Amino acid sequence: MTLLGASLLGGALALDSTSVAQLMLSRPLAAGFLSGWLSGDLRAGFLAGVILEIYLLVAFPVGGARFPEGATATVVAAATAATHPGPGPLALAVGFGLVWGQLGGWSISGLRNLNIRVVPDPMHSELRPRRVAGGHLLALLLDFVRGALVTGTGVWLADLVVAHLNGRWPLGQPDTVGLFLVGAAVSAGILLQSFGGFRRRRTLFLVGLAGGALGGLLL
Amino acid sequence: MSAVTSSARASAFLRSFTIQGSWNYRTMLGGGFAFALLPVLRQVFRGPQLTEALRRHTEHFNAHPYLAGLALGAAAKLEADGCDPELVRRFKTAIKGPLGGLGDALVWAAWLPATALLGLIAHFSGAPPWLCVLVFLLPYNLGHLALRLWGFRTGLRWGHEVGRVLREAALGRRTETVSRAGALLLGVFAGLVCTVGPAASAAGLRGGASEALWLVLAVGAFVVGLVGGVRVWRPAAVVVVGAVVSILTVAAR
Amino acid sequence: MPILLFRVDERLIHGQVVIGWGKQLQPDRYVVVDDELANSEWEQELYRLAAADATDVGFCSVADARERIASWRAGEARTVVLTRDLESMLGLAREHAMEGESVNLGGIHHTEGRRRVRPYLYLSAEDRERVRALAEEGVTVSGRDLPGSLGVGLDNLIED
Repeated sequence: MTLLGASLLGGALALDSTSVAQLMLSRPLAAGFLSGWLSGDLRAGFLAGVILEIYLLVAFPVGGARFPEGATATVVAAATAATHPGPGPLALAVGFGLVWGQLGGWSISGLRNLNIRVVPDPMHSELRPRRVAGGHLLALLLDFVRGALVTGTGVWLADLVVAHLNGRWPLGQPDTVGLFLVGAAVSAGILLQSFGGFRRRRTLFLVGLAGGALGGLLL
Repeated sequence: MSAVTSSARASAFLRSFTIQGSWNYRTMLGGGFAFALLPVLRQVFRGPQLTEALRRHTEHFNAHPYLAGLALGAAAKLEADGCDPELVRRFKTAIKGPLGGLGDALVWAAWLPATALLGLIAHFSGAPPWLCVLVFLLPYNLGHLALRLWGFRTGLRWGHEVGRVLREAALGRRTETVSRAGALLLGVFAGLVCTVGPAASAAGLRGGASEALWLVLAVGAFVVGLVGGVRVWRPAAVVVVGAVVSILTVAAR
Repeated sequence: MPILLFRVDERLIHGQVVIGWGKQLQPDRYVVVDDELANSEWEQELYRLAAADATDVGFCSVADARERIASWRAGEARTVVLTRDLESMLGLAREHAMEGESVNLGGIHHTEGRRRVRPYLYLSAEDRERVRALAEEGVTVSGRDLPGSLGVGLDNLIED
């Protein structure tokens, strides 16, 4: 995928996450699949998406930007992981994606401040339909451009960083996966609390755990 | 409602998919709400009356995006029926709270993570990527679109009296059911991760390079998340990114 | 049981009140004091939906509230009293009925003629007059959106 392609994909998925439809194509699982596929290494891109999906399971798209923006973080991480194979680059791509997604989150806050001037002021004496429609459509366009810029610069920079650091990653595959596992465990704990807490959901969770483990051993 | 054509209503419904498109810190969904209602308002009002109608709908509004259509449908009915503008304002003020609270709990905190877990479970069961994406997005969006359609139609039908229907729909009870299913799915997911693939061997749970350290750390991390809740997410992310950076720094020496 | 909180907030029962204050105060009931709402069933239905399931929500007119305030104070239930404007709160406080109580201004939005005090609080000259009158009835008035946030004192509320 070219840098332009990645930017356009990032812009489109950024729109999906809050501005248009919210079909959740912007969630890491779907965004990783799309970016991996378009980058020519579906498996690596999707894997980056899976890891970010686990991390961002509790990052609900609600209110202010307290979490990294999943859509841009995933396109950056997945496109980078697809161009640089191996466990080290994957860890670097995911880490970079998370950091860059945070910038994405800040850029959303910035746009929401800017939008105060883009949307019509209800107090304004002359409020015309054209102004209402124009302001709204301009805000949509700005969000697309924002997503594309964040993604494009992220993919470009991540490529440089990973190419530079590639080969210096000291951990083997098992330890890299172990590092991912620890991060995922935090997410799982938060999610169980959000589903009602251990005390209330103990039975269901443990039954699921036993079932999942049994299924895994039989697979 | 006679003054409003069905195509104007359909257009308002389609436009409601972009209701968060001009989210801003002053009027939040105000710009999007007025944009979505515009096709209806154009058929009901002319001239200065249209300006006044636009004014009351560009004002501050907030709701869960999937449920905002309920307020939109109701506003369309109220305006088409020629209701007192003050009633429209009071209705929109009163409906903000329930639509935000109920929607966030049902969709963002329960339905989204539960269906995403379906996709993750498919992945750890060995399903191909396209299938994982499908088992996440298909059920998610069936629920999502059903909720949007139900909300808009309920609003159109009941106007400012949607409260009773909303109470009878018992969204709170549905949220509880989805959360329970979510806890079960989370268990299945955790069980799978610990028994298959590279994560299982990394944690020494299934042969391979046994590293009890990772297992101990993971269990500790799980407990930290469970006790601390969502506010530990950011510190945890900083620790993970920090670990990646420090590993690199140590290796560089 | 003393009344836990008196609050003026146009949004009445909503996220900030239910989550922000509710988690800390653990109320058993919200009482909304408003003449119009006391007779508006559809509106009551909507505000009830915004409260947590276990919390009771009552509505009464200013006159009713004045009669019942003593029994709320004497009762077991942990009560939060809400009005959507300063006028109703002042009506409740008249003749020193709320002597020694504190009132929290948590949400009055921007309209024509109102000036910004805080992002959540806009006051007109008449509003400031009502704040002064509340203070004269022996009520401590301050502006605060959430329990943890820094409040605004009386002086800042009424300065022109």
